[in-house]
Amino acid sequence: MVHLRDIKTDVKIGSLTLRNPVMPASGTFGYGEEFAEYVDYNLLGAIVVKGLSLEPRAGNPPPRIIETASGMLNAIGMENIGVQAFIKDKLPFLRQFRCAVIANIYGETVEEYCKVAEVLSGAEGVHALEVNISCPNVEKGGVAFGTDPAMVHEVTGKVKSSTNLPVIVKLSPNVTDITGIAVSAQDAGADAISLINTMTGMSVDIISRTSNLANLTGGLSGPAIKPIALRMVWEVYNKVNIPVIGIGGITTPEDAVEFMIAGASAVQIGTANLINPLATMDVLEGILTYLEVQDIADLRDLVGSLKLERPEE
Amino acid sequence: MPLNKRILTGDVISNREVAEGHFLMAVKLPFAFETPLPGQFIMLRIKGKSEPFLGRPLSVYAFQRRREKVICEVLYRVVGKGTQQFSLLKFGSTVEVLGPLGRSFTIFPSEKDVILIAGGMGIAPMTYVAGHYRGSKAGSKMKMICYTGARSMDDLVALERMEVLCKTKVSTDDGSRGYHGMVTDLFKNDFPTLNIKKTVIYACGPRPMLKALAAILEDQPVICEVSLEERMACGVGVCLGCVTAIKDDRGNKQYKRVCKEGPVFNIKDIMWD
Ligand SMILES: Cc1cc2nc3c(=O)[nH]c(=O)nc-3n(C[C@H](O)[C@H](O)[C@H](O)COP(=O)(O)OP(=O)(O)OC[C@H]3O[C@@H](n4cnc5c(N)ncnc54)[C@H](O)[C@@H]3O)c2cc1C
Ligand SMILES: Cc1cc2nc3c(=O)[nH]c(=O)nc-3n(C[C@H](O)[C@H](O)[C@H](O)COP(=O)(O)O)c2cc1C
Ligand code: FES
Repeated sequence: MVHLRDIKTDVKIGSLTLRNPVMPASGTFGYGEEFAEYVDYNLLGAIVVKGLSLEPRAGNPPPRIIETASGMLNAIGMENIGVQAFIKDKLPFLRQFRCAVIANIYGETVEEYCKVAEVLSGAEGVHALEVNISCPNVEKGGVAFGTDPAMVHEVTGKVKSSTNLPVIVKLSPNVTDITGIAVSAQDAGADAISLINTMTGMSVDIISRTSNLANLTGGLSGPAIKPIALRMVWEVYNKVNIPVIGIGGITTPEDAVEFMIAGASAVQIGTANLINPLATMDVLEGILTYLEVQDIADLRDLVGSLKLERPEE
Repeated sequence: MPLNKRILTGDVISNREVAEGHFLMAVKLPFAFETPLPGQFIMLRIKGKSEPFLGRPLSVYAFQRRREKVICEVLYRVVGKGTQQFSLLKFGSTVEVLGPLGRSFTIFPSEKDVILIAGGMGIAPMTYVAGHYRGSKAGSKMKMICYTGARSMDDLVALERMEVLCKTKVSTDDGSRGYHGMVTDLFKNDFPTLNIKKTVIYACGPRPMLKALAAILEDQPVICEVSLEERMACGVGVCLGCVTAIKDDRGNKQYKRVCKEGPVFNIKDIMWD
């Protein structure tokens, strides 16, 4: 029987080693300040901060969110303080913690992605980049890059050559074939793939006959998208040989373990943080308990362990 | 950084219909729950439910700290799925509470006349402000008036509590009780009689009401803080879902989080359209 403290949980993403596989998803943890009184960041595998662009962005007008069945739609529109202000005002705070800091980046053009990557590469305390080519709530950039394999190849390749940090490419589920996109990212040098971002959706107020979001459409997240995310992780896991980070509706440790069995080396927790600021901690603890109870000494043995044959009844 | 915050589990100890469609819920919480400041709110969720999925923001209406526990009261109107589910909670139901959250009203130590203006459920935080002042040494003697308005007599809730705390003037849209018209018009009639340099105004209610108030107070050297509502997901400032347009120092539009930089704002800083 494996003892809890002997279980190996480290995850390698390019040259970066995370102590464990649990991290918050971009946009659901701010820049890390708001949750510091709730979560011991030293226990997280990494912190993923809100998407950063070269210049500050105001984001979309309100209303920006609406609840849906087992989830929510958001159309924040990449509001952020810009990469310079992040480095100056937010990064010093994050440096005091032992966990890795992953900067989620966004651009309207390939050049902007590269510029943001360059600026962050020179900053002390950023350990990896997550390239958001999948934001559905902006006019330019975002998902426009994430739905065309050739564009994915270009953005990934150029960001890679603008930085020496490990590069994670975050994929959009709003495509017919996720594996083609994932393979493009891998071929262009991505160190890992994270998926999924939100799925485009809508919600209508039947009295005013207007959309419940000022942006008309938004991105669906939460438990509602979990089965889709899980299927996509499984598909991508079978086509690439770089680590896959599973995202989408993960709320409980059991959800996270499902993703790992389907091929996720690590997981990100998004919308669940909005309901329970301690969601990451609860998931981490539960994963460890599962590994102990199942007598799994190394998390790697769980990753992609889905059995294709059903046991005989 | 102290690790002292978490989501707390509370027990519903009463949940009573005080007027048609209006409920007063008292929740017993662990001692660790901080004492809310006037204008702060909680995110309330039914434990273990995925529908409604997100918590709902509700202002603190009343609060008591006893020896081993605290009791937090909220006053709410059933308007949709979430509040409908709340109204079905029984004695002993378990709820999840995050809070107290948000920026509170500025409380002045003394020598102010206090005006409270409430529209609809805006009465909830206004009552807590009044109670806070009355519970303090200086505030017990302050001159305080509450203007409260609702659609009709049946929607005027929590009047009794307010009347104990201060002089209360009532308006209804249909004239079924008090002044026939908007609460801001009722207030406007009295406005010329105020010593505005010595007055602080607190208001909470629907956006059109607050906008009407802003028009009355335009260019007047009076302190006025209002509490805004916006849809919320996290309530703690991480999702950027609840923003509202605010003027920055140079008068430019800037989005601020209602849950974090608000819900209380200086009325002069709000951009109405
Ligand atoms: C800081 C703050 C304090 C509040 N205090 C009170 C109070 O003391 N008493 C009270 O009755 N109501 C209060 N409200 C409004 C209350 O939060 C909404 O009435 C409630 O969320 C409606 O939820 P529902 O599911 O019943 O309605 P639905 O319309 O079905 O809700 C759908 C979505 O819209 C959101 N929503 C709908 N109306 C509002 C609104 N007016 N403000 C914010 N979000 C809304 C809900 O949270 C939910 O995400 C407050 C709102 C805020 C922001
Ligand atoms: C309010 C909100 C803001 C988000 N902001 C970003 C962002 O800035 N960059 C990004 O790559 N993904 C962003 N996302 C997507 C999440 O990181 C995540 O991929 C998605 O929500 C699915 O996971 P979940 O179901 O666990 O939330 C955001 C999601 C939400 C709900
Ligand atoms: S509700 Fe999430 S930032 Fe305000």
